[in-house]
Amino acid sequence: MSRADVTPAGVYHRAVVYGLFLILLLPLAGTLLYSLATSWSATILPEGLTLKWYLALWSDERFLRAFGQSLVVCFGALALSTVLILPLMFVVHYHFPRLDGLMNILILLPFAVPPVVSSVGLLQLYGSGPLAMVGTPWILIGCYFTVALPFMYRAIANNLQAINLRDLMDAAHLLGASTWQAALLVVLPNLRKGLMVSLFLSFSFLFGEFVFANLLVGSRYETLQVYLNNMRNSSGHFNSALVISYFFFVLVFTWAANRLNKDKP
Amino acid sequence: MSFLSIQGLHKRYGATPIFSDIDCEIAQGEFVTLLGPSGCGKSTLLRCIAGLTEVNGGRILLDGQDLVPLTPQKRGIGMVFQSYALFPNMTVEQNVAFGLRMQKVAPGDRDQRVREVLELVELGELAGRYPHQLSGGQCQRVALARSLVTRPRLLLLDEPLSALDARIRKHLREQIRRIQLELGLTTLFVTHDQEEALTLSDRIFLMDAGRIVQSGDAETLYTTPVNAFAAGFIGNYNLLDADSASRLLARPVNGRVAIRPESIGIGGDAGIEAQVRGHSLLGNVIRYRVEARGVELLVDVLNRSADDLYGDGQALRLVIDAAAVREVA
Repeated sequence: MSRADVTPAGVYHRAVVYGLFLILLLPLAGTLLYSLATSWSATILPEGLTLKWYLALWSDERFLRAFGQSLVVCFGALALSTVLILPLMFVVHYHFPRLDGLMNILILLPFAVPPVVSSVGLLQLYGSGPLAMVGTPWILIGCYFTVALPFMYRAIANNLQAINLRDLMDAAHLLGASTWQAALLVVLPNLRKGLMVSLFLSFSFLFGEFVFANLLVGSRYETLQVYLNNMRNSSGHFNSALVISYFFFVLVFTWAANRLNKDKP
Repeated sequence: MSFLSIQGLHKRYGATPIFSDIDCEIAQGEFVTLLGPSGCGKSTLLRCIAGLTEVNGGRILLDGQDLVPLTPQKRGIGMVFQSYALFPNMTVEQNVAFGLRMQKVAPGDRDQRVREVLELVELGELAGRYPHQLSGGQCQRVALARSLVTRPRLLLLDEPLSALDARIRKHLREQIRRIQLELGLTTLFVTHDQEEALTLSDRIFLMDAGRIVQSGDAETLYTTPVNAFAAGFIGNYNLLDADSASRLLARPVNGRVAIRPESIGIGGDAGIEAQVRGHSLLGNVIRYRVEARGVELLVDVLNRSADDLYGDGQALRLVIDAAAVREVA
């Protein structure tokens, strides 16, 4: 044990950190316990433990479909983001560095307009006419793209600033590489870290998104959060199992992502 | 005929001229330094030769071929950057091999050439490392190897030593010169450091505000600066206006004069009366700040022994050799 741990200040600091951790963990632990309880109403502790809620959940076809549909929408939005934002970032930072200021304002827009307000606008725009997409997953993919944009742009922009883009491109050009070869062989591999971090961050965020999903699509293409909302009148044990499953999935996903990211330089 | 010939080259950003009417001739195998303060246009000139920045007019002839219409890929020029610009995702070996991969050199031949050039910069055993595992000096040697492996016709070095600490800088600069002589490589080196320029170059082009002010070998530049800028930039010349110079030398002087600090003798019984105002120890040299006839001068003397040291305020006599007094524009 290091010296800092046994001083009064050290003890105090540790107490604060662990206390905070405990407070944050408590609701989750309660939910976990509730999802494992046979029945828990008039007693301090549950009457018995069971896995039946999880079995019921994971054999519910509607849940499985919602889970799959959430994945489709999230991966669709993230794939669209990657395909659009990466080349955009490259062009902005390499050819038009002055546009970076404009881009920084642009990417703030999704934060400036609350989801409830922008979904009203989106409903107007895409409710009818040639681009009638309301009620389909396509509108969610497009909408989630704008939500993910700030995270993606910032993370990749930081990454780009750290690698000295211009000198790398110049060096590659002088060694005989075309701009495409330089971008694919030299720049892209060095953006992997920023890209991965922003993708995982956006994924965990989008996977739990409710407002847009509910207002723009609702039950016509049920995502996980909408499903949870629609099931709010069913058994609390069942819903707890759903929340814990959801949380556990995101946790495992994030952990795996971190592991994947750590190995290479 | 010269190997690299630059004729009437000029470059501006918007209305601001970066450099104009640059003319120079460089022979094959020559090591030429572009020396000047930051912002004088020397780095931009180098980038224009490499094709990384477009010029607004003029010609760059390399071995008789005009480079201006060519893309950087087609110029056959190697370049080393101040920031090293190594590819962080590749090992030392992959970095060096990159140019050969782009030229589609057969893998067997490629490996051999990479090995050879890594031996040349004494980095053979670090081939498997990534750039972030190397020191600054090692990074710059990898960058040098990477630009040499494609056998460029011309090597450009853009302040390659400026990010390194003094000891490594000295060592690496000797290594660069050795390799350059060994390969007989025509080299253009950009620096703002006069010591680097003087020790390395066959010839120096001194640049100021987008123009070549003076060119010549180190000896010429050091001993015969053409104007006040050249005198001020190279060495630690005492620059005096006409009035001060006339008073100090007790004879009429028409223009500004430059006097090298080490050309002033002290310690004799005859000469101009002066007083020590301060001194600083530069290792083997002691630099005195003295005042004579109301003019302040720097005087450098060899640091032979502590007994010879003059204290501040002490009186002494100066001998200024007439040949060392140089009138400058």
